[in-house]
Amino acid sequence: MKEQAPTYTLEQIDEENFALNLGPQHPGTHGVLRVILHMDGEYILYADPILGYGHRMQEKVAENMTYLQVLPYVCRMDYLGALSYNLAWVCAVEKLCEFEVPDRASVVRVIATELNRISSHLLWWGAYLLDLGAFTPFLQAFTDRELILDLLEYITGSRLTYCYFRFGGLPSDVDDVFLTGVRDFIEGFRGRLKNYHDLVTGNVIFYHRSADVGVILPFDAAGYGLSGPVLRGSGFAYDVRRHEPYSGYDRFDFEIPVEETGDCMARYNVRMAEIEQSMNIIEQALNTIPDGPIRSKVPKIIKPPEGEVTMAVETPRGELVIYIVSDGTKKPYRVKYRVPSFSNLSIFAKLARGQLLADALAVLGSFDLVIPEVDR
Amino acid sequence: MQVNNPLQQALNSVGIEYRPTEFPNIGLHCSLVLERNQLEPLALSLSRAGFFIETVTAVDKVQDGIFECVYFFNHYDEALRLLIRIPIPRSHPVQSSIGKIFPGAVWHERETAEMFGIKFEGCPDTRNFLLPEDADFHPLRKDFSGVL
Repeated sequence: MKEQAPTYTLEQIDEENFALNLGPQHPGTHGVLRVILHMDGEYILYADPILGYGHRMQEKVAENMTYLQVLPYVCRMDYLGALSYNLAWVCAVEKLCEFEVPDRASVVRVIATELNRISSHLLWWGAYLLDLGAFTPFLQAFTDRELILDLLEYITGSRLTYCYFRFGGLPSDVDDVFLTGVRDFIEGFRGRLKNYHDLVTGNVIFYHRSADVGVILPFDAAGYGLSGPVLRGSGFAYDVRRHEPYSGYDRFDFEIPVEETGDCMARYNVRMAEIEQSMNIIEQALNTIPDGPIRSKVPKIIKPPEGEVTMAVETPRGELVIYIVSDGTKKPYRVKYRVPSFSNLSIFAKLARGQLLADALAVLGSFDLVIPEVDR
Repeated sequence: MQVNNPLQQALNSVGIEYRPTEFPNIGLHCSLVLERNQLEPLALSLSRAGFFIETVTAVDKVQDGIFECVYFFNHYDEALRLLIRIPIPRSHPVQSSIGKIFPGAVWHERETAEMFGIKFEGCPDTRNFLLPEDADFHPLRKDFSGVL
């Protein structure tokens, strides 16, 4: 196969232009992402993202393992929103094998996943402002994130790559220490979230760095297949939790925050509003958590019938779709992960064109990328 | 049946029958098996109807001697996930690209191309994506042993 590079968009390359290599190790790229930037002074003429430095061939690995063995692997893709991946894999297999999940397990899953979403957004908040040159927010976000990590460590046993859900329910029940802890956290964090807004949201420097920067037009959103806060910043109220409710999300009353402007500021506002919505969901879940079993009876060896299943889940970064083809054996025949960061990053080259280098880094940060998720 | 959703309109405009499946069971609103030359007109019609591309991938059906190219589309306003399957022969794995209709499909096609060795004709960018730039093996093929 003959290699064909993308059509070079420059009319002419004159002596003033040069190629700048950003990454693969750069604090602004949030992982091992390399971008070759063709620059004219401080302005980007053409950006070419190079990926694959964290490629682990997750899909082939899954073909060679049983359904249960894959479970801890999926959580290594998005290390900041591991429970969403955990949930997606568990729900996909449950759908394929038609396993029942007890109500209590579903509600605990929602609490844990939403806590994970808040912690992911908090890390993004700190890291994004670090990208823009503010150091204090990072420390503040990590203080609150630490409290969530402690809570999740208490029930899952790990602090980052959680693997807490099992086919048909949960491995262990949550106790009052956890539930009271979550309630206390929500109560305290609601007050502290105001400080976040006071410190950053109205700040004039932040405003100039993010408003009207990296505007995504609604037309482009569909062409590039964007999802998550990146999409909702451009005026689409698309959220898998609402459109294809899973794990009992249809029982909760929550809003989908949407902004119309499509710039970095819009994506910032969407995520900040999402933190509040996640807290609303957790509060409702805490108030309605039923008693009962936490795990239904499922076979020890998972052997799904021949067939296919598609399971979509809203991770902190957007829409994750897991597509499993089963041939009736203990191992999946084919697994495809449609990861949100992959599609979200694909629009970067278009947005970066004509921007200042510093603005391009602000755009990259506003996508909330997890590169191991793109590479898989 | 009255025309009531964008998927039905998009399919009707290119003359494909609309047959919804049971969404909650398999997570799909509609699943189609098409010929290669039907893809581009349908993609154009889907793009006009406001559909977004979720992913492009393939399944290696080594026993039948085919690759199944799999396309996922969905709509932002309602859950209308559409799966399109296009069988192509393993001996001559060539598929047409929709990268000019959905720019987001280019990366998905690059990944599918390197993983399965499928050539996407007309794709604006045909370099390797996740694998090293000089890799000429196709790991997601079922007959890939890992020994180079």
